[in-house]
Amino acid sequence: MSRPGISRTVLAIYLLTVAGTAIWLSAIFLAPVLTARGSAGAARFIYAAFSPICHQVPGRCFTFHGQPLAVCGRCLGIYTGFAAGLVLYPFVRGFSKLELPSARFFMLLTLPMAIDGAAGVLGVWESPIRVRFVTGVVWGTVLPFFFLTGLADLFLAKRRKVARTLEKIRVNNIE
Amino acid sequence: MDKQKPEYLRPALIAGAIAGVLSGLPFVSAGNCLCCLWIVGGAAIATKLLAKNTSKILTSGDGALVGALTGIVAAVVDTIVKIPLQPYNMALARRIIDKVSEFGTEMPAGLDGLLEGGSGILSPGWLLLGLFISAAVFAVMGVLGGIIGVSLFAKKKPQASPPAATPPLPGPGDAA
Repeated sequence: MSRPGISRTVLAIYLLTVAGTAIWLSAIFLAPVLTARGSAGAARFIYAAFSPICHQVPGRCFTFHGQPLAVCGRCLGIYTGFAAGLVLYPFVRGFSKLELPSARFFMLLTLPMAIDGAAGVLGVWESPIRVRFVTGVVWGTVLPFFFLTGLADLFLAKRRKVARTLEKIRVNNIE
Repeated sequence: MDKQKPEYLRPALIAGAIAGVLSGLPFVSAGNCLCCLWIVGGAAIATKLLAKNTSKILTSGDGALVGALTGIVAAVVDTIVKIPLQPYNMALARRIIDKVSEFGTEMPAGLDGLLEGGSGILSPGWLLLGLFISAAVFAVMGVLGGIIGVSLFAKKKPQASPPAATPPLPGPGDAA
């Protein structure tokens, strides 16, 4: 769907998402740095902030400065993939149209991580951390295409609603 | 077609409550370690419920909104479920860490302190801080799940039928 005036909203949301992703990824690497420098309190806060969404088992985390990152290899892969997807977004989709990726394409990119994750849970195999990272990257790459489209659509709808309300008020005032 | 406004709150409450309970229970909560499965899945289910209850063709913005609400509800339910389970979760975490340490794996510094001071985590300040962080993270994950849900479950716009073939313009020979 291509609409005039869409570019600025999508671009603004894109830039905010890029900033948020940069902060998110920095925090993941900051936790071990703080630990290594002896700032245990601040590091603990970052580890705790990521704990609701990651098991943080040290054996499944990459290390930085000799300390485990704030998330496991698979989660790091997902966030790295998200960042990669953000880099690709302007070239693949541009800022002038809003279109969700197809469900089939999403399923296809989910498959490697789902198989690897399910096999791990069922005890069929224990994949090395690099495989977990790569399957995470594959899945994460498609996510910005959903995220940006949805948020931009939401903001555009809200803006249209506000414009309609203001127009109604203006017409009422004239009458 | 009925263009009624979709009712976001009901599907968000139902799916958010389920996702929150699953996220709060020991062992089961491990599902969230797989790309926030319960939250992303819960938000996608909320979109499915929303699509079922409205005749409107859902947009990705609708999915984002219902997903964010689902994430916030899930964070609140998760926090409530975790309160009575906190001592058990601490003991479980302690056992896991002891087990992992036996294999010589280095643990993050400060983790011991976090577990020793486990009772402090039950203080209202920590609870509110935890709820705030969970709500923010779960809302973002919920937005993602809701939009994915639109792609998977929402009714699709009917394909525009191709324009009827226009009759060929009469050529010079036709006039004869």
